[in-house]
Amino acid sequence: MPDLFPLIAFGFGNLLMLGWLAAAAAPILIHLWNKRRYREVSWAAVEFLLSAMRKNSRRLRIEQWLLLLVRTLIVTLLVIAVAQPFLEQVGLNFVPGQRTLKVLVIDGSYSMGYQATDKNRFDRAKQLATQIVEESSQGDAFTLILMASPPSVIVGSPAVEQHDFLQEIDNLKLLHGGGDLPATLVEVEQVLKSAEHAGLPRKEVYFLTDLARNSWVPELKDAEADDYHQRLARLAHETPLVVVEPGQAGTENLAITSLAANEPFATTAREATFSGQVRNFGTQPRNHHLVEFHVDGRRVKEAYVDVPAGEQAPISFSYRFEAPGDHAVEFRLAPDSLDIDNHRWLSVPVKDHLRVLCVNGKPAAGVMSGAADYVALALNPDADNPNAPSIVEPEIIPESALLERDLARYDCIFLCNVAQFTSNEARVLEGVLKRGGGLVFFLGDQVLADRYNRELTGEHGVRVLPARLKELVAEPQYHYNFDPLSYSHPLLSAFQGREQSGLLSTPVYKYFRLALVPGSKARVALAFDGGDPAIVEEPIHQGRSILFATEGSLSSLDPVSKTPWTTMPTWPSFVPIVQETLALAVRGQMTEHNVSVGQPLGESLPAMASRPAVKVTTPAGGHEEVRTTLDAQDSRWSFADTQQSGMYHVELGAPVSRDESFAVNVDTSESDLTKVPAEELPKEFTAHQRTNLDETDSPSITRRSGLHKNLLYCVLGLLFVEVFLAWRFGHATR
Amino acid sequence: MASNLKYLDPRTLAKLQGLELRARSIVEGYVSGVHRSPYHGFSIEFAEHREYSQGDDLRFVDWKVFGKTDKFYLKQYEEETNLVSYMLVDTSESMRYQSADAPMSKLDYAQCVAASLSYLILQQQDSVGLVTFDNEIRSLVRASSNPSHLKQLLHVMESARPARKTQTGPIFHDLAERLKRRGLVLILSDLFDDVPSMLAGLKHFRHRRHEVILFHVLDPAELEFPFRQTTLFRGMEELPDVLTDPPALRRAYLDEFGKFLQAVRKGCRAQNVDYLLLRTDQSLEIALSSYLASRMNRVK
Repeated sequence: MPDLFPLIAFGFGNLLMLGWLAAAAAPILIHLWNKRRYREVSWAAVEFLLSAMRKNSRRLRIEQWLLLLVRTLIVTLLVIAVAQPFLEQVGLNFVPGQRTLKVLVIDGSYSMGYQATDKNRFDRAKQLATQIVEESSQGDAFTLILMASPPSVIVGSPAVEQHDFLQEIDNLKLLHGGGDLPATLVEVEQVLKSAEHAGLPRKEVYFLTDLARNSWVPELKDAEADDYHQRLARLAHETPLVVVEPGQAGTENLAITSLAANEPFATTAREATFSGQVRNFGTQPRNHHLVEFHVDGRRVKEAYVDVPAGEQAPISFSYRFEAPGDHAVEFRLAPDSLDIDNHRWLSVPVKDHLRVLCVNGKPAAGVMSGAADYVALALNPDADNPNAPSIVEPEIIPESALLERDLARYDCIFLCNVAQFTSNEARVLEGVLKRGGGLVFFLGDQVLADRYNRELTGEHGVRVLPARLKELVAEPQYHYNFDPLSYSHPLLSAFQGREQSGLLSTPVYKYFRLALVPGSKARVALAFDGGDPAIVEEPIHQGRSILFATEGSLSSLDPVSKTPWTTMPTWPSFVPIVQETLALAVRGQMTEHNVSVGQPLGESLPAMASRPAVKVTTPAGGHEEVRTTLDAQDSRWSFADTQQSGMYHVELGAPVSRDESFAVNVDTSESDLTKVPAEELPKEFTAHQRTNLDETDSPSITRRSGLHKNLLYCVLGLLFVEVFLAWRFGHATR
Repeated sequence: MASNLKYLDPRTLAKLQGLELRARSIVEGYVSGVHRSPYHGFSIEFAEHREYSQGDDLRFVDWKVFGKTDKFYLKQYEEETNLVSYMLVDTSESMRYQSADAPMSKLDYAQCVAASLSYLILQQQDSVGLVTFDNEIRSLVRASSNPSHLKQLLHVMESARPARKTQTGPIFHDLAERLKRRGLVLILSDLFDDVPSMLAGLKHFRHRRHEVILFHVLDPAELEFPFRQTTLFRGMEELPDVLTDPPALRRAYLDEFGKFLQAVRKGCRAQNVDYLLLRTDQSLEIALSSYLASRMNRVK
């Protein structure tokens, strides 16, 4: 942005008052009138009078003109002062006006952490804010807003005590989020409104910001954009909006924009792979840049990447965890000017193996004749191989035992051909979802659709099923095949390009027609060729529920043709589809522990006799106690202060007695340091750049300087001059 | 006594009708107001020495005789009636001027002074004459010591009609030639005339061995110029009208007027003429006492 030169514009607040300038003729008229209005006296000593006049006529004329000039000036200046003249000016401190409310808005987005010299942009912004306060006139008041997402009003009511206010500025901490300009303007308007009756006739709003494009060119929908522009116009009408840049230009920046585990869950049994992207937001290519891989704070691997300008490069590391529990995985870039986005964390819940409960709704005595047998086999096909490590540990129970089990111990529950659920069972299943677990429903001939719909689809307040069950669909001598819907759903991504896997040729003879609830987040992952949904999934609470429209075993037979509902369990595609279903179902556990800056941390805990103490340790090392809230079924804790990125460690006290890790990462859209040029800023803002903090003038001030006070001082001075001259010239009353 | 003294204040005097009444009030008021008698030692000629006796006034002890003889003798003066005084009263138009704050016009004031002095002089059996003049001699009353002479003097004064210009120089020359008998010339005028010419006239009086006392009668407004608003000054004695803003001109006017007074005073001092400035708002005591003091000096 080019330097903006000081501009000075002159104007009047009350132009009509200038009509009174005609009154400036009054002293002249009075003088002329006085000359006509005289009294007469007879006078003996005329000779001396004539002599005095002869000798002093020139001096008398000059004195008369001088007095007339002063008197005319007094009237003229008085009229101009009443017309409220002002100087509108950028870049210099000019005439101090009346008491001013200065609203200081400091950009708290993490791009302000850019540090090319000894101080980062945020510290310089604080220093400029301090300077503005210190150079203010006696009687000025201040408010302070941190432009973040969401913005926070630090000092809302006008503060006059400079020392305390400066302390507030000093205490400001840079956050790791973005800057929400529209929301900040709402706060500014609110602050100005609440200060309306504080006796501060002048107002100035200062934005101390790096003008990062991400914050200053907000992406708004139509209604929001209208609202934003109208508010901006309203504010600009009321007060000058000054944008002050703290300097430290620079756009070169590397950031890790993503980090994810390739596998849906990690176990100690096998290596886990983590992939991420390194993006170069700058204009120079960055070659051979170091990327470190840290696990639980310990560097375990490193690699080098080449990232062209404006491009991104993938990076991945593999690692086998040795112990179960939550582990912190971090990708870390070598330091650059903006360090906040050089880190990205992932909280990985590592287990010895996944515990899956398979509820058998149709027990049978024969081998592989139960409703859950095929599913259990597909979950752990290598169960009989002692050399293959067991990743999934399925356990089959009859439906009657569902309430006897502690479902919190299981990562996923497969419900196979279960006839119906009681309200209690429905609530227990909901608890699984709240804890981030997965529910997978296979239907079958035992299923009572009405009971499913009544207990599980929200009619009684509990919703764990992603779709309602309709009528059974079956046609004699006809089977249905699957339509992968272009493999667009992640559940089927493994099948893409593997048409030989048999998924498309899997015959289905009978199924429940499923109806998605309008407005829900449910998605059809797989459909029948007739268009009916075959697999529907929906994230519910922190977990995920997946519903198969047909049977997961061969136990359901058509009463007429004696053919099973489907032969899918014997098809080669069954194992991968069950495995993928499990992966999708338990993904919630991982996502629950990985959030963005500003999002709350928290989880549901199973109902228990006493509420556990929850202690959160922040990345900065601070400890905070969190209260758990109790609802009908279970308790929940939540921690909202996640404005710093990094790993948050949570200690859950007795009776849970567990440690957990949560990763909080930045939204890397703020890593783009491209600045909005002054000409692209809305015209309501006046921008000013400060490159040198030692400049003596107050930073970037566009203000209307009221001149009337000074003019009134001039009038007062001239009145004294008039009195003196009149006395000196003999016009004063003696 | 106090009730008599008040007649020395021109404000009170202005309320009295008739010059005679005024003159009597002044003189009686003044005489009863002073401790020592004005009747002592008015003669000029020394008569004899008398031995001091208890109760005599020590002021008349002849100290030279005491120095030679070691005895106290008093000087005794021969009462004389041959002191001739001439009152020269200016009755020009300018003497008619009376400002708003002044109790009486300059002419009234001058007449009061002249009348009271005449009364006083006649009381002492001295003779007094009167001349009124403007640009010429309007009336001339020969000196006489007859007490009834006062009435004539007062009548002449009261009948004066001020309307002309002043021309003191030629008048004084003329009078100096006319007043043959050496005496005391008392001039009452505002002297708004050519100063050198006037001084030349005075010189002529002095040349004729006349004692001269110049009573310079002026209105307080002429001395202070207190006007504030724009004023058209209508010239007296055929002088032009002047429209001016008085406050702006005040200092310059006072300078000019001060120079005039200075010139007159200087001229008087040079001619050994007693000069006395009389403001028309001042007590007449000043005029009387200065006359008497002047007389006393001559006695010594």
